[in-house]
Amino acid sequence: MSDFLRIKNLRASIEGNQILKGIDLEVNPGEVHAIMGPNGSGKSTLSSVLAGREEYEVEADEVMFLGKELLEMAPEERSREGLFLAFQYPVEIPGVSNINFLKAAINAKRQHQGLEDITAKDFMVMVKEKQALVELKQSLANRSVNEGFSGGEKKRNEIFQMAMLQPRLGILDETDSGLDIDALKIVANGVNKLKSKDNAFILITHYQRLLNYIVPDFVHVLYNGRIVKSGDKSLALELEEKGYDWIINELEAV
Amino acid sequence: MANKLDFLKQFDQLTALFPVQGNARAVIHNGLDFPTTRDEYWKYTRVTSLVESRYVRNVPNIDSIDAFRVPGLDAQYLVFVNGEYSERLSDTQLIQGVEVTSMRLAEGDRKQHMLEHLDRYVDSKTQAFHALNTSYFIDGSFITVEKNTVLSDPICILNISADKQQANNIRNLIVVGEMAKAEFINLHEGYDNAGSLTNAITELKVEQGGDASLYMIQNDGAESAHINTIQVAQEKDSQSKVVTITQTGKLVRNNLNFTVSGQGCESNMYGIYFTSDRQHVDNHTYVDHTTPNCNSNELYKGVMSDRSTGVFNGKIMVRREAQQTNAFQSNQNILLSDKATIYTKPELEIYADDVKCSHGCTIGQLDEEAMFYLQSRGLDKAAAAKLLVQAFAGDVTAKITNDALREKVEGFLHQKFEDQHA
Ligand SMILES: Nc1ncnc2c1ncn2[C@@H]1O[C@H](COP(=O)(O)OP(=O)(O)OP(=O)(O)O)[C@@H](O)[C@H]1O
Ligand SMILES: [Mg+2]
Repeated sequence: MSDFLRIKNLRASIEGNQILKGIDLEVNPGEVHAIMGPNGSGKSTLSSVLAGREEYEVEADEVMFLGKELLEMAPEERSREGLFLAFQYPVEIPGVSNINFLKAAINAKRQHQGLEDITAKDFMVMVKEKQALVELKQSLANRSVNEGFSGGEKKRNEIFQMAMLQPRLGILDETDSGLDIDALKIVANGVNKLKSKDNAFILITHYQRLLNYIVPDFVHVLYNGRIVKSGDKSLALELEEKGYDWIINELEAV
Repeated sequence: MANKLDFLKQFDQLTALFPVQGNARAVIHNGLDFPTTRDEYWKYTRVTSLVESRYVRNVPNIDSIDAFRVPGLDAQYLVFVNGEYSERLSDTQLIQGVEVTSMRLAEGDRKQHMLEHLDRYVDSKTQAFHALNTSYFIDGSFITVEKNTVLSDPICILNISADKQQANNIRNLIVVGEMAKAEFINLHEGYDNAGSLTNAITELKVEQGGDASLYMIQNDGAESAHINTIQVAQEKDSQSKVVTITQTGKLVRNNLNFTVSGQGCESNMYGIYFTSDRQHVDNHTYVDHTTPNCNSNELYKGVMSDRSTGVFNGKIMVRREAQQTNAFQSNQNILLSDKATIYTKPELEIYADDVKCSHGCTIGQLDEEAMFYLQSRGLDKAAAAKLLVQAFAGDVTAKITNDALREKVEGFLHQKFEDQHA
């Protein structure tokens, strides 16, 4: 069994509504998992809960990440351990410079790993390189976090941050939504370049289109707080063609 | 109020240097009483204990002001210890068009010039703390900038409050001449001064077309009180900017008043108060628009933690003749603790019909979404909160156009956070 990410019977409620009703999921290094599912099925809730958002009441038999109890950790510890969430709706933070905050984030992670702070020079070299990777305009990197960014620019900025932080597990919550075709390719290309045998990605998406560029090893369907079907990349094609009704019908028949 | 006469008696042996001091003593010994929380403008700020205290007078020897200097600031320093001018500690320079004088030492024409302005702008007849100051100040700074003179470096008045139970009446008189331009810093520092009171008045006169900036930095210490009044009097086509940064002080009350006597004036007022423990910081501002075509801009930001209290009262008066006035006011607050309190009140009185006025006040917590976003990138709560508070204060610190001073203020915000999360 993998020690990378192991989720058993994960449940989450908010304000008395149970949103996640028992999720089981296992992710190994080098894998790409796609999670699809109708609106409101709980995909963002799953990613928020994994990233450590505190508003939810969370229970599980087990959630292990790199050999540690994920649910015991504060959001910042999860990040420093190598988890990254690209938000579906990245928040604008006026007055906080994108670059300064990223530097603080990188140094927080380095301190956690017992490393010295990054030098100004190394940092700038890295910024240049990763900016180029996602073709993010330099002016955006220097602005306040997401302030006044277009929808597509915000998504690119998420991938830029992911590239800077080099996580072990990247969760991309609908990073493809709102991207034009060129931007989609750039973002997908960025993810493909970051992919290695040591890290893994969970892609939450509504569209098969993204999966043409980032080929998943597994596709899961989340419906009503549960993973109701898993398969390989052909499942995404089938969903694209037939929608979700047939799965829901199958479920109801059981 | 028998108490009041007892209280005043401890200062009565101080020599009155100028006629206005005799007048003020008569006023305060007679009908004028200190405010209580029954007075509308002092509702939240209790000063009774300050005006019932026993104070002592002592001017400790200070070797050097190095600990109080603003790092990297090119400025001449005019230094007062417990209200007394120290020539030794000051490093005034000769600059063409500028005169910097201790009030007590002013002589001849210089003294005459000073007396033309002294106590003309501030109201020592109805405001007891003003009368107290005018009655008993033992010295003060008198600074004049001649017509058409543009200063490249600021002039810094450093007031050091040293030793316990001191009552220091600090007095500044600044006159910026026609078309002149200058920046002033009034730096209040303190050490070992528990129970001390700073009662300060700055009269700032800006003559026609002049441009004056005044930075009031209050860092008297955690166990002392500070009552401060800045009275700005502007002539036609002049500009002024007052930035008030309250760093420490158990009880701080600021009165910032602007009067304008001609068209085409601009008055800017900005402030930051970041309070902790049981600090109480009260900012009352008043702009009196009496003439047409003038602008005023106001932005005060507060961050309150622990059991501290903030008060903001911004009064804007637009009189009937003051057409085409633009007056903007905003007060924004973040409460970092559920035991912290803010009382905020805009007070607009508008009698002219062709004006643009706006005001707004907000009270909130740190944005939870932003906090989570920053945390999810690896910043702990304290680091995330610090970034958000610095960003919040950034609109005001940006108004400090002197780089060295701005860095000092940013450093204070940074340090305050570190101390709180230590
Ligand atoms: N604070 C909340 N209070 C009550 N219900 C909530 C709250 N937050 C989310 N929900 C509900 O939880 C359900 C799952 O939401 P979630 O955002 O996880 O869906 P999703 O699968 O990401 O949908 P989409 O595809 O539209 O992004 C929705 O029905 C939503 O209304
Ligand atoms: Mg979602």
